[in-house]
Amino acid sequence: MPTAVTHFKTNIYECLEALPKPTLDQLYREPATCLAIFRLLPPLARQLVMSLLFTQPISPINLTQSDLRLWVKNEAAALAKFDEALDKLSKLSIMTTDSTGYIQMNSSFRERFQDCLTGGGDHQSFGVPCERPAKDKPDITFLDRHAMKQWEEILHFMVGTESTRQPSAAVLKVVTRAKLMKEGKDKQLMITNKGFQFLLQDVNTQVWAFLIQYLDIADELLHMNVVEVLNFFFMLGSLELGMDYSVEALTPTQKQLLDDLANFGLAYRRKKGSSRYYPTRLATTLTSGNSAVVSSAVSSSTSTTTGEDGATEQGFIIVETNYKLYAYTESKLQISVLRLFCELQTRFANMVYALITRDSVRKALKHGITANQIISYLTSHAHPQMKKQVPLLPPTVVDQIRLWEMERNRLVATECHLYKEFRNQGDYEMVLKHATNLGYVIWSNARKRMFSVTEEGHEHVRNYIKKKIAQRKTNGGGVGEAGSGIGTPNNGSPSVR
Amino acid sequence: MSVLKDTATVNEDDANLLVLIIDTNPLIWTRSAKSTGLSLKEALRHLLVFINAHLALKHDNEVAVIASHVDVSKFLFPIPTPPRLSEDTDQVVDSNLYQRFKVVNDQVIGNMKDLFEDITTLNSYPDKASSMIAGALSMALCYINRIMRADEIGHIKPRILIISISPDSPYQYISIMNCIFSAQKLGIPIDVCKVHGEDTVFLKQAAHITGGRYLKLQIPQGFLQFLMITFLPDRFTRNYQCLPGEEKVDFSASCFCHKKMIDIGYVCSVCLSIFCHPLEQCSTCRTNLILASVNECGLKLVNGIKKLDKAKGRESGGST
Repeated sequence: MPTAVTHFKTNIYECLEALPKPTLDQLYREPATCLAIFRLLPPLARQLVMSLLFTQPISPINLTQSDLRLWVKNEAAALAKFDEALDKLSKLSIMTTDSTGYIQMNSSFRERFQDCLTGGGDHQSFGVPCERPAKDKPDITFLDRHAMKQWEEILHFMVGTESTRQPSAAVLKVVTRAKLMKEGKDKQLMITNKGFQFLLQDVNTQVWAFLIQYLDIADELLHMNVVEVLNFFFMLGSLELGMDYSVEALTPTQKQLLDDLANFGLAYRRKKGSSRYYPTRLATTLTSGNSAVVSSAVSSSTSTTTGEDGATEQGFIIVETNYKLYAYTESKLQISVLRLFCELQTRFANMVYALITRDSVRKALKHGITANQIISYLTSHAHPQMKKQVPLLPPTVVDQIRLWEMERNRLVATECHLYKEFRNQGDYEMVLKHATNLGYVIWSNARKRMFSVTEEGHEHVRNYIKKKIAQRKTNGGGVGEAGSGIGTPNNGSPSVR
Repeated sequence: MSVLKDTATVNEDDANLLVLIIDTNPLIWTRSAKSTGLSLKEALRHLLVFINAHLALKHDNEVAVIASHVDVSKFLFPIPTPPRLSEDTDQVVDSNLYQRFKVVNDQVIGNMKDLFEDITTLNSYPDKASSMIAGALSMALCYINRIMRADEIGHIKPRILIISISPDSPYQYISIMNCIFSAQKLGIPIDVCKVHGEDTVFLKQAAHITGGRYLKLQIPQGFLQFLMITFLPDRFTRNYQCLPGEEKVDFSASCFCHKKMIDIGYVCSVCLSIFCHPLEQCSTCRTNLILASVNECGLKLVNGIKKLDKAKGRESGGST
């Protein structure tokens, strides 16, 4: 839910923002990519693009940033949204401010996105369908089942369920590179803390995380063109579920990609050399951005029809106010995910009964899983009956899980320097006052005449003391007697607050 | 009321349902084409791009298109049975157009053609200069109601946009008003874009009451641009944007008895029906009204106001 969605979005954003401008320009040559990237923008940015998209043919208008600012209400919240929107647009080099201060829309983006909306041009960016009808076309249920089977196989492999076969080389490369798994003692791959976090995400987020890692590999190891790979991802996102598309229209790189993506369950091909491919729901919902809806759509269609292993993905968890958790599932995968933060009590034919305890949650937190991840997992997998309640999860449980997380964060270590052995109270207070005014003091105790300052303040405070000592020397004695000084800095002793 | 759950607050992630009502009165469109150069065909091209833009904004945005014709209102999209797939199968998928855009555009164009080919009923309706806005609005509201009931988590935020071209039909005053109040109760904003001719008083009220936008198209060539800036923002973005719109709203009504537009009329004290002259019995709720009191003080009052209005140079109208 919220965390998961932002996680996914920032990830793909970061990935796109990191690309150099020429690469982005190349990306914007495909209308499908323009559409997909457009949908990743915040709402106000999308509206700004739309408002300016068709201005050019009528009359070229030059607008500055302050002109555009007049379009939003003069309220702090609205202006903040506006600034965020413009920032995102300029980072993706869709709209930039030129040297004269006018806002310019990226010309290739403008043209291609116009094509996208009006259906102009001959770019074939939305997938070339097969001309001949397929003999026995797989239906959508079959595709959903295929997608879930392939995807869960990867997840099963990660949790180490027995009887899973070794996944393909590409999958292995991605999981090791993304540090979801690492080699243990006996050359066996073991799941890492990051892997546990990964398991708690919803399917869409997982797929994106996977694809972004894959993009990294594709660039470095397989020497694929980043633009082509991204274009292919975004094209897949714009295809229609249940249709067959022609392999021939793809570039060699994309053909190679297709094989790997079929392994992940994003596409289906009857056999390796088949001339057509079918995108699955995992692929067609890639750019929808609303991951919760996606995962439930995938699972609801599978669960109603199959009733087999991976059918339990739709809401199946009931949480009670007394921390008891009932999960209507048989899937080993789901049970092992639950085991991450629950204490399993009893297992029945179609359901598992577990307890959420302090120890079990702390175990999960030690694995690096955050309270928000647990909560969002429980929310997105809640049983339909739970979904009728407002709020969805019992507030006591939600609060308690958060409190358990907070209690691990009671201590914060800060590097600091301790000053002690001041000759008299006056000196102590003088230096302390000076350091407090500059905001460097972390802790002080007047009775012991000790205080500690932060790392960056140390140099400053020491110089101040030296200066004072020097002044007194020239003034001829005075209060502080000799070189031992006003206070002794005790270097490098960290104090704990 | 399950339908009323949380219609007011709009989240960033909510899907938007846009119900587009296109006034397709052929007579007025011809007139518009002659005077401003904007024909129905041209306008439809702009509208299709606008629909695509709406669908492009978000993956789960939905659209419905209703034609409000001279004598009938009809769904152009979606319709229960997709049309004529067998005739041109090769056109089902176009690799140059996003599939969702294509489905919507093809159906809207196809159904619009069907609508214009079927001219048999054109002669029977009394008011040819008008269109069935009230019928189209009711269909839109019913459709929205159905979609919102099906959507359990209150995720879909609906709004209505009327592309209006014909003048007001006083015959439809009551039904339009009923639609407006239903829309207001359901929290559905009604936007109105007046493409040609005089302002419509009823629709202006509709936009005003439901919190929508009313805009008169000033540059016909820039139809799409007008749509994009004023009517494309979804309900979430509208919270932050200043949008153009009309400030002045004319609240005049039409009487229930002769469907005349009136500035001053008589209102039934029980059911609030409006009449242009005093009646002994209210034609709507059958209440017997005592006219003596009206004759004694009411008429004097009305006359007094009329005089007052005249004195003011008839600046504004109001109903008594």
